[in-house]
Amino acid sequence: MALSAGTRSNGGSANVAQRLQKELMDIMTHPTPGISAFPVDENMTSWAATIDGPADTPYAGLTFKLSMEFATTYPYTAPTVLFKTPIYHPNVDFSGRICLDILKEKWAATMSVSSVLLSLQSLLGEPNNSSPLNGQAAELWDKDMVEYKRLVIARHKNPEELET
Amino acid sequence: MDYNDRVFASVFSVPSVSHTTPTPIATPDLGNAEPGESFGGGLFGGNLGNPQRKVKRNLAWSTATRFLSLPKGNHADTDPSNVENEERPNTAEVQDALEYLLVGDGKPEIFTEDNLLDWFIDEAQLHFATFARSEVEQWWNEEIPLEAAWDTLETTQRLLQHAQNVYLRPLAEHILPLLNDTVEPESRTLPPEYRVSERNNASRRFLSALHGAFVHSLPSQRFSKTLSYVLYDAGLKVFRIPKGKKNKVVANSAHEGSRRRMQDLLQGLDRVGLGGDKAQKSFAHAMDKLLDAFINSHYLRVDWHGKESELESLRMWISKAFIPLIELVNTCLRCHPTSLSAPEIQHWHDAALGRLGRAKVEYLFEYASDYHTSRGVLKTIKEYMKLPNAKQYLTTRFSEHVSRRLLSPGATTTYILDLYMCFIRTFLYLDPKGVLLERVARPIRRYLKEREDTARIIITSMLADAAAENNGKFSSAGDLSVEIATEMQRPITSFEHDVSQGLDWDNMNWQPSPTDAAPDYKQQKGHDIILFVLTLWERDDFINELKNILGDHLLRSQDPEYANEIRLLELIKVRLGDDKLQACEVMLRDVLESKRINSAIRAPIAQMRTPDNRALQAPGGPPRTPQPRQPVASIPSVPGLGTPLPKSSVDMTLNAHIISSFFWPSLRDDHFLIPAEVQNMQRDYESRFTHIKGRQKLQWKNALGDGSVALELDDRTEQFDGLMPWQVSVIYAFQPQPGEEWVGKGKGKGKELGISRNVEQLEEMLEMDEQLVRQALAFWVGKQILREMDHDTFAVIERLTSANMDTEAAAAAQELAEVQAQAQAGSVKSQHDLLQEKKDVYMTFITSMLTNQGNLPVQRIAMMMKIMVAGGFPFGPEEVTILLEELENEGKVIGIGGDIWGIKK
Repeated sequence: MALSAGTRSNGGSANVAQRLQKELMDIMTHPTPGISAFPVDENMTSWAATIDGPADTPYAGLTFKLSMEFATTYPYTAPTVLFKTPIYHPNVDFSGRICLDILKEKWAATMSVSSVLLSLQSLLGEPNNSSPLNGQAAELWDKDMVEYKRLVIARHKNPEELET
Repeated sequence: MDYNDRVFASVFSVPSVSHTTPTPIATPDLGNAEPGESFGGGLFGGNLGNPQRKVKRNLAWSTATRFLSLPKGNHADTDPSNVENEERPNTAEVQDALEYLLVGDGKPEIFTEDNLLDWFIDEAQLHFATFARSEVEQWWNEEIPLEAAWDTLETTQRLLQHAQNVYLRPLAEHILPLLNDTVEPESRTLPPEYRVSERNNASRRFLSALHGAFVHSLPSQRFSKTLSYVLYDAGLKVFRIPKGKKNKVVANSAHEGSRRRMQDLLQGLDRVGLGGDKAQKSFAHAMDKLLDAFINSHYLRVDWHGKESELESLRMWISKAFIPLIELVNTCLRCHPTSLSAPEIQHWHDAALGRLGRAKVEYLFEYASDYHTSRGVLKTIKEYMKLPNAKQYLTTRFSEHVSRRLLSPGATTTYILDLYMCFIRTFLYLDPKGVLLERVARPIRRYLKEREDTARIIITSMLADAAAENNGKFSSAGDLSVEIATEMQRPITSFEHDVSQGLDWDNMNWQPSPTDAAPDYKQQKGHDIILFVLTLWERDDFINELKNILGDHLLRSQDPEYANEIRLLELIKVRLGDDKLQACEVMLRDVLESKRINSAIRAPIAQMRTPDNRALQAPGGPPRTPQPRQPVASIPSVPGLGTPLPKSSVDMTLNAHIISSFFWPSLRDDHFLIPAEVQNMQRDYESRFTHIKGRQKLQWKNALGDGSVALELDDRTEQFDGLMPWQVSVIYAFQPQPGEEWVGKGKGKGKELGISRNVEQLEEMLEMDEQLVRQALAFWVGKQILREMDHDTFAVIERLTSANMDTEAAAAAQELAEVQAQAQAGSVKSQHDLLQEKKDVYMTFITSMLTNQGNLPVQRIAMMMKIMVAGGFPFGPEEVTILLEELENEGKVIGIGGDIWGIKK
């Protein structure tokens, strides 16, 4: 029993690695400006990603780092995605956790790393204020964009600052 | 001593003829007074007998010594028998004196009185030193030239022998007979000269003292060397070994003569005390050299290639000739025992084998290179390896040879591979366990791995047709290893993976690894030479290379059955396991399947077109790719093309290779237009293919494939096969275009040149690279179909006349075309092309990596690329650095120092 279970999970992670390698190739052959992602090490199941804040949003000109963890059941379950760069956003809490439907109940096996990152990028410009993790941000988004922007800048850190 | 004296002496008892009378007669020796004794008191005291005995003894001594004293002067030339008899009459008086001194009352008291024998020894030594020695020495004062060695020794021996005879004579005649000859009982069993008796002892003492004097008269070093040379020389003659380079064969009679001469000399030397330890040492030295000389002359001559080992004959020589010689010499030198014991004989055998082996190992490199014909030598070496240290010596020497002679830039990879195969065979023969092979092969393997073309040559050779090769078709083409190709022809030996590696407890044939095996030694079941070649690389690297070469090969192969390719795959599968070879199998299946599809598609076409021209092209549907199907089709075109005749319907057929892009290596994909007729056929083919295969679509690869054309010119029709597609396109472009009136058609029968086009036109018409256009043009000029009219303008030669037949230009162009074709040869992309083509993807990889992981060293980047890039990243840090530098120029990344790179902010 133990043996066969082990085999299955090995097979599973091999499939995950294969799938992820393919996604990586897709990203590399069709790079999307403002988005990049790369595995952290050889085993492919944890990635680091970078997205640029979209122009015409309070996040323009800022760069955000994220981490993505893929379970052995990927792509049937969504990856775990966290903002590593502190961000002031209605749908992101202070530890970087994200509230986004496609990362939860609306995940589908047809989605991919790049589609997740694209969704997150657009989330920056179009927060879902109906179910905020950060109530203040949701409120300010509607009421006081100047203050909102100030808080975004204040909270943001450059990648270099993060690493130290 | 005059005659009168002698007469007088014969009558009267005169104690001395020549000397003064001894004192005691005139003045008795009264002895010395003891302290406190009155002078003369002792005369009548207790020791009265003493003075009388002394006097008597003195008298006898004087008489005896006078008699025995040796004649002055050098008597070397005279006959010793004459000397004494005449001058020294053996009178009764003398006889008495001798008896008295030796056995009578005058016998010396130990320690106090002189011994007559001692005196005689002194006398002899003194005499020798005074008279004979200088004569002997004059022979030895200078370096002895080799030619004079025999003479010197023989003369010396004669001189000494003579002296010895002279000295021995008085001893033997006058002293020895008086001595007691009773042999002591315990020594009776010994040979006569070793028995212990008073007489024997005396003569031994005398001889040993005399021989001491002889030995000291000769320079010992020089003497041993000379003797050693003489023995060596005698040995050479006895065994008829040609000396030096003169190769003079000694005549039969001479060799018996030499044996006797040597025997005489040795016995003579032994008699004068020059035998013994010293001579034995020289002898040993000589035998040692003799063994070398014999082996060098008999077993290292040109006959390397005997199929039988020479060992038997060497053994025979040792037992039947060499050992007897030693025994003979031992006899001459009176060694005990004269015959050799079994261990000694074995020792000589081993010594001989060791020498032979070492000598052969020097040439092992050559023997191994010519493995098939060197069986005999290898047997010898195999035997030699049983000796202690032999293996060590062998591997060391061999490796030295290999690294000096083989692993150098001057050796072609093919050559190294060929020899490597030979070495594998040789060493597996020498040491079936493979330990030695592993030791010597390691540097070769390491070196081969570094060469870029190794894998290509191996695989091409495996695919090559060895039979054709033996006919000299490929001969020294340089890119094929004949050895490998031949090896491939052998039946596949059953080959099992020994998975258990000693864990199979039921294996009753299990054997431990040899004691001298390296730690990573793996016991092999059976010996598979090909496997040694296949395991040069990591399996995956090898398979990648295999894919590339196999792809190229399959597209070009003329063999409709693909027998070699199938066989190769099977061979590799058995050895490397089949899990990794899926891609290769798919490739093989693709080409086989293409044949089937071609005939299926052609069936309806055949009714319309005659299958004269053959075009081959290939589209492929990747059956297992989950992506949208994107079959790659390589297309070649075959127009039957008559320049002057704008035939509307040309007889053509189109064959395609349908290959699955996903599994094949990246293929060339030059863009150009192919003749419209062929395009039509492609479309036709496509639709039929879709019909047969459902939704799969074809994508043509026009640069691959080949074509045949028939050119109908005014005065001739030329048929060409195996043309490159672009060559076909270019010549087809010389067809008159619609709307372009071809002048020659109706009236221009007399024209020699047809339509002309220039390079630019062609580039435009065909959307082809200038390089390809020029190459094709050069090809056709070489074939005397086209001619360069003007700079960059070419025209068709409709009629070949002496006027426009510019053979030289054609030859030059042909040469040019060939060179270019070679550069273009592969249908699979080269490493460099591949890097250029994928550069963008790779650069994205690198920037993404640096963006998300921070700064990284080049090594790490290269490693990650190898892991991350699907389909493999066949490059190393050097290429990565090139990419990084390019990115740096674009301002995207920045070198941080060391090998570390980061994203430029």
